[in-house]
Amino acid sequence: MATTNATISINSDISSYPVRINSSMTMKKAGSCHGLDETNGLRSKKFTGTSAAIIIEAAEYTADKAHKVYIRNTASNKEYFFYVAYNASAAAATTDEVIGKLYGGDWMLMPYDGAVNITVASSTTETQILEYMVFADVLVDQTS
Amino acid sequence: MATTTASVSISSNDLIPGSNLSINASSTLMKGGLTTGLTQLRTGYESIATGTEFRLGPLATEMASDEHNIASWVYICNKATDDTFYIDWGLHETMIGRLYAGDWMFIPWNAKADDHEIEIEAQGGAQTIEYAFFASDLVLPTAAS
Repeated sequence: MATTNATISINSDISSYPVRINSSMTMKKAGSCHGLDETNGLRSKKFTGTSAAIIIEAAEYTADKAHKVYIRNTASNKEYFFYVAYNASAAAATTDEVIGKLYGGDWMLMPYDGAVNITVASSTTETQILEYMVFADVLVDQTS
Repeated sequence: MATTTASVSISSNDLIPGSNLSINASSTLMKGGLTTGLTQLRTGYESIATGTEFRLGPLATEMASDEHNIASWVYICNKATDDTFYIDWGLHETMIGRLYAGDWMFIPWNAKADDHEIEIEAQGGAQTIEYAFFASDLVLPTAAS
């Protein structure tokens, strides 16, 4: 059993009182006290066009589990972004299941059920690099 | 201008044998496509009953901007302690993942239309969540009378 910890810290002066959110979690298997122990590793992908692409294939993961997905736009430019969506095909910008936009430097971490692909599309033909990692509950053995 | 920063640290010494995993990232949350910070905030701490799908956060029509042209962020933490409990979360009638007891999530969110709301449903038992929306264009709903 592996132990993977994730901590978030959000600080803001939006309101007249400081906002301080700090939360930590140990990533666990569905309905279990045992830690997530599988991953395909940290991946990095360069995009130079706006075509949508699947970055996480649901077929690699057992569905309805407690997978977690980390994605970060490594660019520094806040003008451009990646659409991030939950979609069976490669659609990312136009699907109803657009989750949101990751602008330069932005990151996200979300629970993922492994039932449908995660897709992305860059908003620009300028080079943008996406890094991402799935912390998997159960990986599906791939047949040749 | 308000400044909101979100940082994450992910670490594991044994997930990948022979390699210590250490991911650290930090971002200043800005208005969509701009370099000015988000200006509006909604937070909550609420109990979620089982058996009903609830909407979390504002509708698209409560966010004054073009569709898909809003940079909002959502933080949710499931405060339950029973490992078998979780919150199903999704968009547009599509469940995307399970937020188990003790877990948190942080996502960008673009409301395309009112039916692209964030949906949550407690599974296993009633659970309490803590949440925060960071946004740029929230507007209050019109009063009923």
